[in-house]
Amino acid sequence: MTSTAAPSIQSDAAARFTRPLRLSATEDLRGYLGSHAGRGLLFLTTFLSVVAVLLIFAFVIYEAVPFFFKGSWAEAFARIREFLVTNSWYPQSEHAPEYGALAIIVGSLYVTVCSLLLAVPIGVLAAVFLSDIAPFQLRQICKPLIEILAAIPSVAYGVFAVMVVAPWMQSHLGFDTGTNALNASLILAVMALPTIISVAEDALSAIGRKTREASYALGATRAETMVKVVIPAAHSGIVAAVILGMMRAIGETMVVWMASGNAARIPAPWWDLSQSVRTMTATIAGELGEVPKGTDHYYVLFAIGILLLAFTLTLNLFSEYFMAKVKKQARGG
Amino acid sequence: MHTKLREWINLCFTAMSSLTIVLLVAALLLFLIPMFAKGLKAVFFGGTVEFRKMQADLFDRGNLEALQREIDGTQYARAEIFNILEHFSRGIDTAQLESDAKSLFRQYGDELRFRDVPADKFTALRQDARAIRDRLIEAYQSDDKEQVLGILDEIAVLERDSRFAGTSIEKLIAMAADYRTAIHGVDLTRRSDYAAELEAVKEQLRSLFGPLPGEGTPTLAMYRFGATRRDIMEKHIRYLIWQERWIEEEPEKPLVLINVRRDDPAYGSFAGTELAPLFALVEDNADAMLNPRFTFYWQYFFDDSTPGHYFGGVGPEILGTLLLTLLAILFAVPLGVISAAYLVEYAGDSVVIKIIRTCINTLAGVPSIVYGLFGLAFFVMVVGYPSILTASMTLALLILPVVIRASEEAIRAVPQTYREASLALGSGKFRTFMTVTLPAAGPGILTGVILSLSRAAGETAPILFAGAVALGPVPDFTGRWWLQPTRALSYGCYDITVGDKLAMMVPHNQFGMVMTLILLVLTLNIAAILLRSRMSRRLRGS
Repeated sequence: MTSTAAPSIQSDAAARFTRPLRLSATEDLRGYLGSHAGRGLLFLTTFLSVVAVLLIFAFVIYEAVPFFFKGSWAEAFARIREFLVTNSWYPQSEHAPEYGALAIIVGSLYVTVCSLLLAVPIGVLAAVFLSDIAPFQLRQICKPLIEILAAIPSVAYGVFAVMVVAPWMQSHLGFDTGTNALNASLILAVMALPTIISVAEDALSAIGRKTREASYALGATRAETMVKVVIPAAHSGIVAAVILGMMRAIGETMVVWMASGNAARIPAPWWDLSQSVRTMTATIAGELGEVPKGTDHYYVLFAIGILLLAFTLTLNLFSEYFMAKVKKQARGG
Repeated sequence: MHTKLREWINLCFTAMSSLTIVLLVAALLLFLIPMFAKGLKAVFFGGTVEFRKMQADLFDRGNLEALQREIDGTQYARAEIFNILEHFSRGIDTAQLESDAKSLFRQYGDELRFRDVPADKFTALRQDARAIRDRLIEAYQSDDKEQVLGILDEIAVLERDSRFAGTSIEKLIAMAADYRTAIHGVDLTRRSDYAAELEAVKEQLRSLFGPLPGEGTPTLAMYRFGATRRDIMEKHIRYLIWQERWIEEEPEKPLVLINVRRDDPAYGSFAGTELAPLFALVEDNADAMLNPRFTFYWQYFFDDSTPGHYFGGVGPEILGTLLLTLLAILFAVPLGVISAAYLVEYAGDSVVIKIIRTCINTLAGVPSIVYGLFGLAFFVMVVGYPSILTASMTLALLILPVVIRASEEAIRAVPQTYREASLALGSGKFRTFMTVTLPAAGPGILTGVILSLSRAAGETAPILFAGAVALGPVPDFTGRWWLQPTRALSYGCYDITVGDKLAMMVPHNQFGMVMTLILLVLTLNIAAILLRSRMSRRLRGS
């Protein structure tokens, strides 16, 4: 510091340091505008997500509208009614194509509900295990495993369903066809599990130690604590987990396309899982590649897309509501 | 009160919860083990000489001299089989023999005319020759062995007839002698059965050794080579040797279906014929004929494939997937990181921000097939046709929420003290973010990017209509490659298992492609997991 070799540098630094802090008017304005413009730019970039969502909705609806509205409103209502209520799906018939999507909608709900019946109990129990039972080391091993289960591409699960599960079902369970509702539901359950487990585990962990300690202090066993205290307390998170798992299952395409058999009819009797069903996603995936643009068949596939969007949007709003409740709980507790 | 019962219930509960994790691990293993066990067969297998022929022919690979030596060796081992086959089929294929006999007779007429035989002698000779021909054809057409042998004896007497020496009729007589040996041990009444069975045998021999001698090179690559792998070889040897037959075990009872060897003395369809030794010969000398040895076909990950993925590898699929995902990342990451930075650093809790957050969540929840619809209705409409560009933009939209969420978390995880230290040193908000917060959040953002890369690589539904094709050329990098459609691993997996009938014959290639996709995705995920655990250790340490 006491070196005399560079007095000029020292004095420069000193001069800069002692410069008056007040900015000139133009500097001030430039800084103000610059920071606000930058901020605006960032906002616009972020706003692109909103634009994307709007575009998705707009274009899917735009392509679906010509299916319903061709002339009068009465006709449009008739077509919507046909679409939602009847269940004969013959879009490729030359004389009188029929667009009754009821069987397809029911098929989607059918495999979704079946897979959830399997995935929810297992998922919640697994979440309980990870949050309350497993020692730290084991948890460190289990979490990446679950992540890998979630990361496996759906088409790989589909291949597994077709090449491994379906032949096994045919030879060991005596089903007429290996690609059926049970096959699709099983695989969907495996795919929905990671989502359910991680969200439910977060919800269970968010219920603080105090609640558990209080229950234990009253003499409750761990099972009683979990079932009677922690799970009821974490119910909104668990509901959110189920909803998210449901979204995963209802929006899944490749697995159901490959594993469900794609027969557009409602299973009868309703509990017979060995029958083939067809889902909304599989219908779009299977038929859109082959229809010419601008035909009724093309538009009706976008109409199914609207239905799918409506389902997921509703579910999404519900999940947001429950997640917000979880957050509030976490802040409060 | 019933403490015992409560304890017991508690134990059950613990056991069941533990069981679910066991179940999950079992599901994972149940999935991964068959996929890898069957998929690895595409890379590690016993390659036969036919495999090396195929590699040399289609991919210009291998030592041609050594290969020629190997081919000579195997041809030598196979020669006996083709001899037996040829000889036997001569006894069966009488239509061919008949036409041969007729053409020989016609040739004889020409020969006579050529030699300027006098007219009366000409007629006499021709009449005798015609008689021989007709007798021979009669022998060919007859099912009665006694009668045939009688006729053949009759003809054989003429062998020393000097009138026909050196003419085509001599060949006709030789044909008769030949036929005599050929039908030895053949039940002539069942000749049409033999013909059908023989076709089946020939089919299997073609599958084993490639086109039979004298058949020429088929146009399709899949028919040009025989069994390229030990497992295929064993399968076809099994089909060659064993047959299913309906037999009457007891009189007056329904027929039963049994599996017998084709040369089985009691039930085999070629029992006691000249063809019978062929089966044992193939069975015992298969290794000498095809020379299978352990092969590590690492080029599987780089080679192009013949139609139906019958031969070759998944090179173009991997390339296509890499192009699509990297391009998608290129679009999504800048957007995602900027959005995340804004949401964490600048955005308050206003209504607009809430709407933005809801939209991001909605975007994350939109089913992947709807992205496919949107890609078709919007990107393809804007660009004009399905291509790499449209597919990767669709994928970019799909992973955008993933990138935003991961980056947001990473940026939020940077301790507030870092920012405050930087601010205290006099740098502005923007500079703080660029020089302090972003580098500190870097590994976390990278983890998110790797995860979204793996997500994009595995997604099929969004690119179904937006640029993925099952068969097509490799993108041409000298031109505008981003405007061409491409093959991709994910769509290829779908097509090879469900769409492609040819691929059903090569399950190792079906599983090989799926294994490649799983391998890619797992590698990315494990990298992300390791990166994150290292990072969390560092954060804990600091």
